[in-house]
Amino acid sequence: MLYYLIVCRSLTHAQRTAAALERGGITARILRSPKSIAGEGCSHSVKVSQRSLPEALRILQRAELSPKRIFITAGDGSYQEVEL
Amino acid sequence: MIYLDSAATTLQKPPAVARAAARAINHLASPGRGGHRPAMAASETAFACREEAAALFHVPSPEQVVFTFNTTHGLNIAIKTLVKPGSRVVISGYEHNAVTRPLHAIPKVELRVAEAPLFDQHAMTEAFRQALDQGADAAVCTHVSNVFGFVLPLEEIAALCRDRGVPLIVDAAQSAGCLPLDFQALGAAFVAMPGHKGLLGPQGTGLLLCSGEAEPLLEGGTGSQSILQTMPDFLPDQLEAGTHNITGIAGLLEGLRFVRRQGIRNIARQERRLIRRMGAGLACMAGLRVFLSEDPEAQAGVLSFLPEGRDCEELGELLGDRGFALRAGLHCAPLAHKTAGTLETGTVRASVSPFNQDWEVRQFLRAMEQLTGR
Repeated sequence: MLYYLIVCRSLTHAQRTAAALERGGITARILRSPKSIAGEGCSHSVKVSQRSLPEALRILQRAELSPKRIFITAGDGSYQEVEL
Repeated sequence: MIYLDSAATTLQKPPAVARAAARAINHLASPGRGGHRPAMAASETAFACREEAAALFHVPSPEQVVFTFNTTHGLNIAIKTLVKPGSRVVISGYEHNAVTRPLHAIPKVELRVAEAPLFDQHAMTEAFRQALDQGADAAVCTHVSNVFGFVLPLEEIAALCRDRGVPLIVDAAQSAGCLPLDFQALGAAFVAMPGHKGLLGPQGTGLLLCSGEAEPLLEGGTGSQSILQTMPDFLPDQLEAGTHNITGIAGLLEGLRFVRRQGIRNIARQERRLIRRMGAGLACMAGLRVFLSEDPEAQAGVLSFLPEGRDCEELGELLGDRGFALRAGLHCAPLAHKTAGTLETGTVRASVSPFNQDWEVRQFLRAMEQLTGR
């Protein structure tokens, strides 16, 4: 199943992101960013389903929570960055 | 024992505080260090605590709520961020050593003390105005004197600082959880507060509310940007190196929830009522000098008194022997004692929490009657 990972600058930022999405009715789960996408080392990401991304981006824009980077994955170890 | 030393640490806490701390020891790991359940549960607790504090103190984002170990820790971060060698700093005449010692540790700081008589809020505002008008790089102000309970006119002082573009650091050690405090409205650069006093959390907890980035006091692991050898440039990670005191944070969360449920205005009303009753009772006794404000709004839940012709520490000991916990001496605030004229003698200080009752005040007054011979 395809899903997106919204990479956040900090755990607290990921928590704010997930909270905003949940309030907007989107299921969002915080997880440690896979090492291959973490960039500068440890970071946290918010996982959302493929179909939720457009609405998630609208919610985050309204909440002024701009994502650092977004990746799409099938959970098979490959990650492709999505242009914002 | 009747506990009247909440200005040092509140001893009676809501039962949920101890339960949460005990649960944390057994079930919570380290926030941001691992994706397993105990680490994520710890992260959720820490975030809930930040959100609760942000709501209580009107902080725009929970990321601006930084965990510290106590008020002193937060004040050191704030002061060392804003005050550099040669800086001109305005402080009130009622500051604690947690403010004055870090300032004295920075070379060539030009310190200007805004002095005003005890409980005279108008004079304090004017003293700050005059001191700020001479030019200042920063101002530091306690909200409530830890010795006398004097409520400084923080909103007016903050407005003076805003008008002049002077960053303000607030020491909310005695007011957080006891008096309303609106971080956003104040426009302060930093507000430092303890978790273990008015917020009713465990010792070893504190909060620093930040308007923006600050300089780390400690460097180390943050669970973020681990490749880099510099600290993250974003809050709260920038100021939270090393493992969090999650046991304390879990307890603090319950303390914050209790304070929000009770309502800070209700807590302030209750504490003022007790202090005024205590002050009025002591004022009737011979041989005591009681520092009670005529204006109830100018004093919070702290009351100092001075036995004439007797050492204040001796009276504190006698009260301790009779089962009353008060604190005597200089209360780590020699500047406040100097301003009020009690540096040579010190005072005995009583301070209350939302858990103190009228009967405790009555028993304390009875004991004082016996000790003063009336």
